[in-house]
Amino acid sequence: MIAIVDYNCGNIGSVKKMIEKSGGKAIITNHLEDINKAEKIILPGVGAFDTGMTNIKDFNLLESLNENILVKKKPILGICLGMQLMTLKSEEGKLNGLSWINAEVKKFPAGADIKVPKIGWDYITIQKDNPLFNNYQENPRFYFVHSYFVESQDETIITARSKYHHIDYTSAFNKDNIYGVQFHPEKSHKFGMQLLKNFLAI
Amino acid sequence: MDEPVKMKKADGYQMCVKTIMDTTDEDIMFDDNGICNHYYKYKRLEPYYTYKGKETDLELEKIVEQIKKSGKGKDYDCLIGLSGGVDSSYVAYNAKKLGLRALTVHFDNGWNSELAVKNIENIVKKLNFDYQTWVVNWEEFKDLQLAFIKASVANIETPTDHAFLAALYRIADKYHIKYILSGSNFVTEGILPTSWGYNAKDLTHLRAIHKRFGKIPLKTYPTLGLYKELYYTYFKKIKMIRLLNYLPYVKSEAMKTIQTELDWKYYGGKHYESVFTRFFQGYILPVKFNIDKRKAHLSTLIMSGQITREQALQEIQKPPLTKEQINEDKIYVTKKLDLTLEEFDQIMQQKPKKYNQYPNNEKIRNWVYKIYNKIKYKQ
Amino acid sequence: MMLPRVIPVLLLKGNGVYKTEKFKNPKYIGDPINAVKIFNEKEVDEIIILDIDATANKQINYKLIEDLAGECFMPMSYGGGITSIEEIKKIISIGVEKVSINSAALNNLEIIKNASLQFGSSTIIVSVDIKKNLFGKYEIYNANKIKIKDNLIDYCKKIEAYGAGEILINNVDKDGTMTGYDFNILKTITENVNIPVIACGGAGKLEDFKHAIEYSKCSAVAAGSMFVFHGKHRAVLINYPSQNELKNLFEH
Repeated sequence: MIAIVDYNCGNIGSVKKMIEKSGGKAIITNHLEDINKAEKIILPGVGAFDTGMTNIKDFNLLESLNENILVKKKPILGICLGMQLMTLKSEEGKLNGLSWINAEVKKFPAGADIKVPKIGWDYITIQKDNPLFNNYQENPRFYFVHSYFVESQDETIITARSKYHHIDYTSAFNKDNIYGVQFHPEKSHKFGMQLLKNFLAI
Repeated sequence: MDEPVKMKKADGYQMCVKTIMDTTDEDIMFDDNGICNHYYKYKRLEPYYTYKGKETDLELEKIVEQIKKSGKGKDYDCLIGLSGGVDSSYVAYNAKKLGLRALTVHFDNGWNSELAVKNIENIVKKLNFDYQTWVVNWEEFKDLQLAFIKASVANIETPTDHAFLAALYRIADKYHIKYILSGSNFVTEGILPTSWGYNAKDLTHLRAIHKRFGKIPLKTYPTLGLYKELYYTYFKKIKMIRLLNYLPYVKSEAMKTIQTELDWKYYGGKHYESVFTRFFQGYILPVKFNIDKRKAHLSTLIMSGQITREQALQEIQKPPLTKEQINEDKIYVTKKLDLTLEEFDQIMQQKPKKYNQYPNNEKIRNWVYKIYNKIKYKQ
Repeated sequence: MMLPRVIPVLLLKGNGVYKTEKFKNPKYIGDPINAVKIFNEKEVDEIIILDIDATANKQINYKLIEDLAGECFMPMSYGGGITSIEEIKKIISIGVEKVSINSAALNNLEIIKNASLQFGSSTIIVSVDIKKNLFGKYEIYNANKIKIKDNLIDYCKKIEAYGAGEILINNVDKDGTMTGYDFNILKTITENVNIPVIACGGAGKLEDFKHAIEYSKCSAVAAGSMFVFHGKHRAVLINYPSQNELKNLFEH
C-alpha cells in the first residue's frame, strides 16, 4: 500500500489514479496510522514552500515522516513541491525544509526572455543508473510546472538534470530511500506511468 | 451441394465437425454426419457472393462503369462508410484503385477508439477522399443504447447499425449519390445465426424498446423506417454494393495491404475499433448470452479457406478480452452510460430475451421484400 | 530545448462538446468523455475545457469535470463560471490541474490574487477574449457584457501583477475561422508581460503554431477547430500532430 500524503497542497487525485493504473494500491491520507502502515510514501505538492511546511506541521506529520523515512527507511517519492520540501531551505519562503537532502531551492530569474513559471514538457538528462529511470524505450520527457528549482551541492545524489534557458538544475535526486522529482509523473502519460511503475517495484 | 433431408437439433452440447458453430446457436441443426446447417447454407450461397475469377472481374467492371456514369457532372459517384476497420478500409483502398470519386462517411456514435480515428485520418488523407461525419447526439444515443441493454436482447448493436444505415442513405441522397459501397462481405461474415442478432432495420422494434426503457425523446437520431427504405432504394434508386464480394478477399492479405499502403493499425479483434462493440462482443455477449460471435466469423473463414478448423479451435480457446481489458472497459462503459457497477451487474443478471418478445415488424417487412423482389425481377 | 505546448481546447455546452465560429453558431462535436479519452490516447501536451454556458447559468458541472479529469494523464485546465475560492478548491480536488478565470477577473482581480496565494500562481490562468472595435483596435470582449476601464494591454499587465500564472488570449474574430492567429496583437501582449501567454483563435495549420511561438513569442498555442475538424466539409475527426511532426515543426 502506498500512502499519498494529503497536506492540503495540490491535486493528489491524479497521483492516486495513475498509481492504480500502474498496478499499485494507494490511499490518500494524513493519518499517522496509514502512513505508519504503508510500504512506500509519496509526498506530492503544488503551491508555496512555507505553506507546505506549515501544513505538514499543522497536520502533525513531521515526526511520523522523519521516523518512517530516516529510521524505518521506507522509500519515499517527492513530487514537485514535495521534492523541494525535502531540501534545506527555499528562496520562496522563510521556513526550513525537511532537510533530508543537502540541497537548496532557488527562483528562476524572470525576464523578457525567461517566462516564469516554467510550464511544459521537457526532457531530462539522466546522470546515472537509477531504479526510477529503468525500462525506458525512448528518451523520457515529463510535464514540468515550477517557478523555483532545486540546486544540489552534493553531486552524488543528482540522478537527472534539466535546463531552463541558461539555468541547469536538478530535476531528480536520490539518496538511499529518498527520491525526488521536480516534474509531475502523474501528468506525463506513459513516461510518468513507467516511472511510477518503477517506484512501485523498488 | 444439397442439404441432406434429415437435419435435427442436438440433444445436448454439440459442435459442427466442419465449422466451429455449436449449440450456443439455439437454432442450429446437424445432419447424421455431425455437419451443421450453416455449412450447407454457406455452400449453397457461395457461388452467388464470392469471387470466381474472370467472370467476376467482368461483373465488377460493369458495376464500376455504372457507378462512374451515375456520377458524371456531380461531386461524387459513390459513398463509402468508413469505420476504421479492415473491411471498410479495404473498400476505400480498392475504390481509389478503381478510379472512383468517393465521398467517405464516418458514423460517430461516441464510442470511437483513438486507433479508429487515426486509421480514418490516414485513409482519408492518403487516398485523398473528401470526408463527412454524422455525429449522433450522444444524450439521445446513450438513452437508446441503455434501453436496448435493459431490454436484455442480443441485438444490442441495433442503435448503431440502424442509425448508421439511415445516415448513409441520407447523406447519399443529399449529394445525389446513387451507389453506397459497403464493407459487408460473404467470405468473412457469411455465417451469422439469426438467434444471435436481429435485423437492425426494424424501426418498430427500435421504437418499442425505446418507449419501454428509454427516457429522452429521439429528436435528431436518424431513422430508416420501411417506407423511407423503399423511398431510397426504389424511388431514389440508391444501390448498396458489397464491393468485397467482387474481389478475391483474403482478410490477412487485405490487412497487410492497408498496413503498408495506408499506415493502418490493427486493434486486436473484429469490430474492436469501437470501445463499446469490443466490450459488448468480448464480455456482455459471452457472459450474459453465452454467445461468442468469433465462432461465426471464424467458421466463415474456415468455409472460405482462409484458416483451418484447427486454427479456429485454437483461436477460440483464447478469451476474447484479457481480464485487465474487461475491467478497464467496464469502468469506461459504465461511466459513459451513467450506470453504477452494481446497476450494470444487475442488468447482466437479468434473463436474456429474444427480439420477438418485443413488438417488431418482421412479418410485414418480409412480405414487403417479397413483393419488392417480385416486382424487381419482373422488370 | 523545451518544445512549446500545443493544447486542444474543447468547448462545453450542456453535456456536449461544441465548436463555435466567432463565438456564434455552436456546432455539435460529440460526447466530451470520449473526446477527452481520444486526446489522452494521442498523448496531447495538455487540454483546456471551457464551459461556455456556465457563467450565464451560474452552474458548474462538477460531475462531468470529474469524469473528464479521470480520462486525462496530462494536465487539464477547466474554465467556465468560476467566481470563488471554494469553487476553485473543489475543481482542483477532483483532478484538474489549472483553472481558467474570465468574467470573475474582469469583475474583480482580487480573486486572482487570493487564488494565486492559496493554490500557487501556476494553477491560475486568466482568460481574456479580444475583439476588434469599429476602428480596428482590439478591445476586451465579454459575453456577459462586463466592461472595465483598462485597455487590453494594461489589463494584461494587471493580470500579471495580481499573480496569475498564465494568460489565455481568445480571439473572437478569428475563432473557428482557421485563417491563422492575429500574430501582431499576440506579439504586443507578450512584449508587455513576463508570464506565459497562450494563443487561441484562428489556428488553421501547423505553421500558425510556429509563427505564434517564434514571431509573437507566445509560450503555448491552443486550437479548437483544427483538432476536431477535417477537410473541406469541416467534418468531425479528432486529430493531433505526432511528436515527430511537432519536433520537425519547432526545431527546424
